[in-house]
Amino acid sequence: MFDVTIEDFDLLSDEEFEQLELEVGRLTSCWMVSNMRGGSAIYWDDQRIGEKRHEYMALKHPSVNVEAEMAFRNKPVVDSLEGNSLVHPLTTPVIVVDKTNTKCRSVWRSLGVEGLSKFREKPMAIISIGSVPGANVVEDGEWKRLWGAWLRLTKNEYHAGWVESMEPTNTRPPLTPEQDKAMLGKYAYQKDEIRKAVPEPPHDDTWEVWPDETDQSFQFIHLEQ
Amino acid sequence: MITEERKAALLNAMAKLEAYRQIQNEMGRAVSAFNFRQADQLLSFFALDKKDVSLEYADEGVFRGPEAVKAIIQETVGAEPKPGEMLDMQLTTPIIEIADDLETAKCVWWMPGAGAVPGENEDPTAIWAWGELAVTFICEEGIWKIWKLHYFRYIKCDYKKGWVDDTSMINRLNTPLHPMADTTTYHNPYSPTSIRVGIPCPPKPYAAYTDADKNWELDENKNW
Repeated sequence: MFDVTIEDFDLLSDEEFEQLELEVGRLTSCWMVSNMRGGSAIYWDDQRIGEKRHEYMALKHPSVNVEAEMAFRNKPVVDSLEGNSLVHPLTTPVIVVDKTNTKCRSVWRSLGVEGLSKFREKPMAIISIGSVPGANVVEDGEWKRLWGAWLRLTKNEYHAGWVESMEPTNTRPPLTPEQDKAMLGKYAYQKDEIRKAVPEPPHDDTWEVWPDETDQSFQFIHLEQ
Repeated sequence: MITEERKAALLNAMAKLEAYRQIQNEMGRAVSAFNFRQADQLLSFFALDKKDVSLEYADEGVFRGPEAVKAIIQETVGAEPKPGEMLDMQLTTPIIEIADDLETAKCVWWMPGAGAVPGENEDPTAIWAWGELAVTFICEEGIWKIWKLHYFRYIKCDYKKGWVDDTSMINRLNTPLHPMADTTTYHNPYSPTSIRVGIPCPPKPYAAYTDADKNWELDENKNW
């Protein structure tokens, strides 16, 4: 039961109140970033290109290439939306907000399912397991995605399973296996390889170690060892 | 000098965080009761004192009012379990907005689920049953209760066949709708010809629940 009253704050010095305010703000930010990721997941499944939507990306940040982002969003990778779906539920959250409550790093994991029909053929049922590393910043009073992408572990035809099947990221023109493995498939499951420990979830000291919000190094610490 | 407005804002933020935790716990307990086929336990999470309490699932219609909600939960969740029968739903992807007045909350979860359907003189059939859940909670005397629940079917299929090859379970059979159900408001499960629409939509921040919030989960306006 929540039984704090406003009078309780009179027991705090101004400095203590401000510290409490900051910490409550940081906890709230973890929640808001989770909401933002959930909303993004919904719109990821709804794949209409070029449609006006609530903007979840921090387009005003100097590191964001707005032109390239908009070009990506307007580029079709399937002929029709019929039978296409990308449902990547978010689980296993690790969220670290910095001490100033303005930057956040996070990693979720996901066991998802998809339907893929590139040229109006019968869709392929796909099991898609992966993770969602990323960083958020506050823009216009709202937590927005600075960067963050799907990092594949598996993307397999449902019946074939993840040992026998690995579908490449769907692009136009299609990626070669080598290109796919150099991009989203870089850390994907391979039956003849030892799994790489990527992405490492952010540690509590992530913002002390990598203060630049564009720095994505935190994911790859085990590769350096 | 800390202003009274700032103190009030902090108290509100702390209360919201506590509500966020309570709502996630209450919904988790409700889903466990559903999975364990505990109808009375599940009903205890609903605001049954509200005349407009409601439950809608897939294309089985909207059950409005305490008597209709009680009836459909008792008839389905409360039905005698059969050997080998199972349905286990899980809450993921929470998107939760609590009203500034702390009286209501709008929530969406994505729900992967797995089940087993008993057959006649044969082993049960393993199924996938995934969906999305949109729930409006109301706070009654400090307890968060389910006021309006809407389950959206995503896939329901034979595990061996998968969601592309087996769409035989995504729509209800052509039998009379439950006599206590009103017409379904939305049903768009995955099929090889369906188009995803982003429904239920993510709830947006709001100050207080009004009549305009009825069916908030069906808002197709993405440019908010």
